[in-house]
Amino acid sequence: MQDQRSNRAGKSLSGRALAYTLMVVVTALWGAPILWMLVTSIKPESEIYAYPPAWIPDAPTLEAYGALFQRFPMLTWFRNSAVVGILTTVLTLAVDALAAYPLARMQFPGRRVIMGVIFATFLLPYELLFVPLFLGLNSYGLVDSIFSLTVPASANAFGVFLLTQFFQAVPRELEDAAIMDGCGRFGFFWRILLPLTKPGLATVAIFTFVASWNNFFWPLIATNSDETRTLPVGLATLVGGAGMSMKQSVLMASAVVATLPTAIFFLALQRHFVRGIAATGIKG
Amino acid sequence: MTSVASQPAGRSKARRASAQEGGAVRSGMTLAAYLFLSPYLALFIAFMLLPTLAAVGISFMRWDILGTPEFIGLDNYRQIFADPLFLTAIKNTFYFVFLTAIPMVVLGLALAMLLDQKLKGTAFVRTVVFLPYVVMVSTVGILWGWLFDKGTGLVNYYLTAIGIEPIAWLKDPHWSMPALAITTVWWTVNTNMIIFLAALQDISEELHDAATLDGAGPWQRFVYITLPLLRPAMALVTALTIINGWRVFGQAYVMTQGGPEASTFVIVQYIYLTAFQNFEMGPAAAAGVVLLLITLVFSLAQMKLMKAI
Repeated sequence: MQDQRSNRAGKSLSGRALAYTLMVVVTALWGAPILWMLVTSIKPESEIYAYPPAWIPDAPTLEAYGALFQRFPMLTWFRNSAVVGILTTVLTLAVDALAAYPLARMQFPGRRVIMGVIFATFLLPYELLFVPLFLGLNSYGLVDSIFSLTVPASANAFGVFLLTQFFQAVPRELEDAAIMDGCGRFGFFWRILLPLTKPGLATVAIFTFVASWNNFFWPLIATNSDETRTLPVGLATLVGGAGMSMKQSVLMASAVVATLPTAIFFLALQRHFVRGIAATGIKG
Repeated sequence: MTSVASQPAGRSKARRASAQEGGAVRSGMTLAAYLFLSPYLALFIAFMLLPTLAAVGISFMRWDILGTPEFIGLDNYRQIFADPLFLTAIKNTFYFVFLTAIPMVVLGLALAMLLDQKLKGTAFVRTVVFLPYVVMVSTVGILWGWLFDKGTGLVNYYLTAIGIEPIAWLKDPHWSMPALAITTVWWTVNTNMIIFLAALQDISEELHDAATLDGAGPWQRFVYITLPLLRPAMALVTALTIINGWRVFGQAYVMTQGGPEASTFVIVQYIYLTAFQNFEMGPAAAAGVVLLLITLVFSLAQMKLMKAI
């Protein structure tokens, strides 16, 4: 492991060879499971358990996908996940941007306390909240509803934190000029601040959507019917119990379907992911 | 910086705040600030702050779904600490943190250093390592559940190819937790890698060049330049890894359902079981508070340790 550092400057030939060898190993270890998932999902039944395992199917087929959509309410789960993801993202973006503006750019009593309390929740294991949240929502009859899957998630502090940093970087003079022109604070916020910080807004939107799409524990608690169940919870019912006899090709097809939207998102907008993690280190 | 001229015309309360940064009317600004903040604060108070306080409150009460809540002091805590299953859960979760923490930090740094080099292909490898980030936990569980299968899994196939006896992984209480740890490292080490990559890119080239001119070898540059400058990133990565380790649940739930023989039964699954299958809200809340205290103690200890180094 140490030797790879020696070719930081990339000069010596042996150092380079070692770096490339390690890169091949890393690519294999991280890429193989994903590739295996794709390959298995298009294998016919007779090839799934072939020995030795084949990386290229002899007779590729989509029958596993057909079986998946036929036997499980995949479309409903998928639709629920999409609706929950989009609503959560829109709501989060709106309230986070509004909140980040004063935190980043105004002096007012209570600012430090509010920031301290909000950002302290980064250290909070959210699992602690789920018992009281469930009881509270249950007393209003809101469990197993889109509300319980979207609104509570919007209290997350990640977006406020990230947008505060983006908003601070906008020069003071712009704000002064805008307000002098009679733009007003909201006018400045809407017409100048938001357009100038689009990359930050995009980062928050993407992270919120992916976190919502992949969120598992809370939807597991807060849903109990296929009408509201999201993909992660639905897919978890495929394994264990009745799913034990499920063909691996069908399971892998479910994995592909669940991963496709976020994978496309990621490949198209990779730099936003990287910026978001680098800035806060927060995972979903 | 700015002058009185930046104040909106026609506001007479301006005098008090004339020296204030931003130069705007103070009380007007306070009102505006809280107006902007109010939608988020309402959500934050309703769904973050109050539930946190309520969790602590419920942990001191007898609280079934039906019936009136009743204050019972520390009884819930006594109950869970007398429950062998909870103690097993703490032990298992600690074992998981122990198994993941070092690989997650060391491998995260090693990957970052490998892929920080100016070589062709690093961007591609970064993408491959990062891809598992967008895979949801159920899918991770389904995928690795099969990879670790004793008879038909790829892991055993390649281990056999290099002469290692097949391991029952998820069916063997000795191997189930290491299997979860391997899965978790594969799934989440990319977060740590990205944080380290960002920190490495902040270290100026000139520093390394100067050290090289002074005759410092690669190992010396690593120890005397890279590592010290990586300290903030190291602190962040270590804290996140440990906190997230204590919060593990989805992988265990999907891959092993806590088994075999409760060998992967973790604290969050205890909360889930107690609250949402046995409907004992008090003990579940108490277990949640214990989880909070554990992560706090670890975060504080880790901060102290980072300062001492």
